[in-house]
Amino acid sequence: MNIPERTSARADSRLEVREGMRIGAGLVIVMMGGALCILHASGCRERKVEQPIDYSHKTHVGTAGIACVDCHQSVESGIRATIPPLETCKGCHSDTPLTESPEEKKLLNYLANGGEIPWNKVYQVPDHVYFSHRRHVSRSKVTCQECHGDIASFVNAVSFQFLPVTMENCMKCHKERNVTNDCLSCHR
Amino acid sequence: MPKWAMAIDLDKCTGCESCMIACKVENNVAIVDPEQAQAGRVMYWMDMMTAYESEDTQVVRRIVPKPCFHCDEPPCTVVCPVGATYRNPEGIVAQVYHRCIGCRYCMAACPYTAKVFNWYAPKWLEDSACRPNPDVSLRMSGVVEKCSFCSHRLQQIKEIADLEGRRIEDGEYVTACQENCPTDAIVFGDIEDKDSSVYKLSKSYRVKRYMDDLDVKPKVFYLSRRTTE
Repeated sequence: MNIPERTSARADSRLEVREGMRIGAGLVIVMMGGALCILHASGCRERKVEQPIDYSHKTHVGTAGIACVDCHQSVESGIRATIPPLETCKGCHSDTPLTESPEEKKLLNYLANGGEIPWNKVYQVPDHVYFSHRRHVSRSKVTCQECHGDIASFVNAVSFQFLPVTMENCMKCHKERNVTNDCLSCHR
Repeated sequence: MPKWAMAIDLDKCTGCESCMIACKVENNVAIVDPEQAQAGRVMYWMDMMTAYESEDTQVVRRIVPKPCFHCDEPPCTVVCPVGATYRNPEGIVAQVYHRCIGCRYCMAACPYTAKVFNWYAPKWLEDSACRPNPDVSLRMSGVVEKCSFCSHRLQQIKEIADLEGRRIEDGEYVTACQENCPTDAIVFGDIEDKDSSVYKLSKSYRVKRYMDDLDVKPKVFYLSRRTTE
């Protein structure tokens, strides 16, 4: 006679537990969603890099009409695109400032004092990956904008990766273009 | 699609071990402490093995180079539980270090014992002449590694050939061991190309395949006039 009572009591406790779990799970999901929103809004997923000069690509590429290759000289012929040395800046900038920008004054200081501008690397490929700009730009005609974004509209210095350097992004593009995704073609 | 293969001419090989050292330096193979090396943890991608050669009544004991044989039917790739080792379309048996969990099943499966295990994270001396090669990644401890037929060189050669719109010529893609062999005993190339020197050597009457009875179809073969065991 006691048996049905027991089972019903058990079922009640189970229901309570289930209800509790449901509420708990709901809370966790809401909290995670909130956290993700905050992370996304603050740009936490992007690695921010500080630059010594707030270099404006918009002024140089958009307004002055300088091509990417004019400064990043080995992008078509070498593995690395290279960050231009001060010598390249000297081609246009001399002792008299071209604009009233405070950032140009910083550059003129570097020109006067000698030494290179300590630019910080934004795009970095790990040592077990072989990535060649020459192959992508000269051979496969990938435009700079595809990975680096519409650089002609960047007012501030480059501080984050437009297309994050991940294997997922590389393989996605390789798949779209029917390029080999064999490990040994990029990894070493 | 080319298929890379190697021929080692034992009639030319003097057993000088230059290939072994060239490989170690080229591929950033870790230098192991003497005590650990004594315990059998020494690391070589190109190792030297003892062979006995006989001609008429003479028997000579000598050392011969032994790289990874890059089998066409590799036993190591079958046993890997995580797919960290595989045979690529060009016939190179590759090792993906970041996938490897260090279980060493592949080492047990390899009949040639061509694979080595990283017991320690590699240490490199500062301000030393022996700095790591930037073209090859440094392996972490706890992964298995092996000869890659210097595939980092292939990546660059392929790119240059692609830009010039031609095929890779015979003798353009050379491995470090081949480059440093003083007697040119090591020949490397595309075995699918009928004009390549490695194809011609593979048809020689002197060809001997090491452990041929296992039917793993190794792509490294030895050439010797004498009977070698």
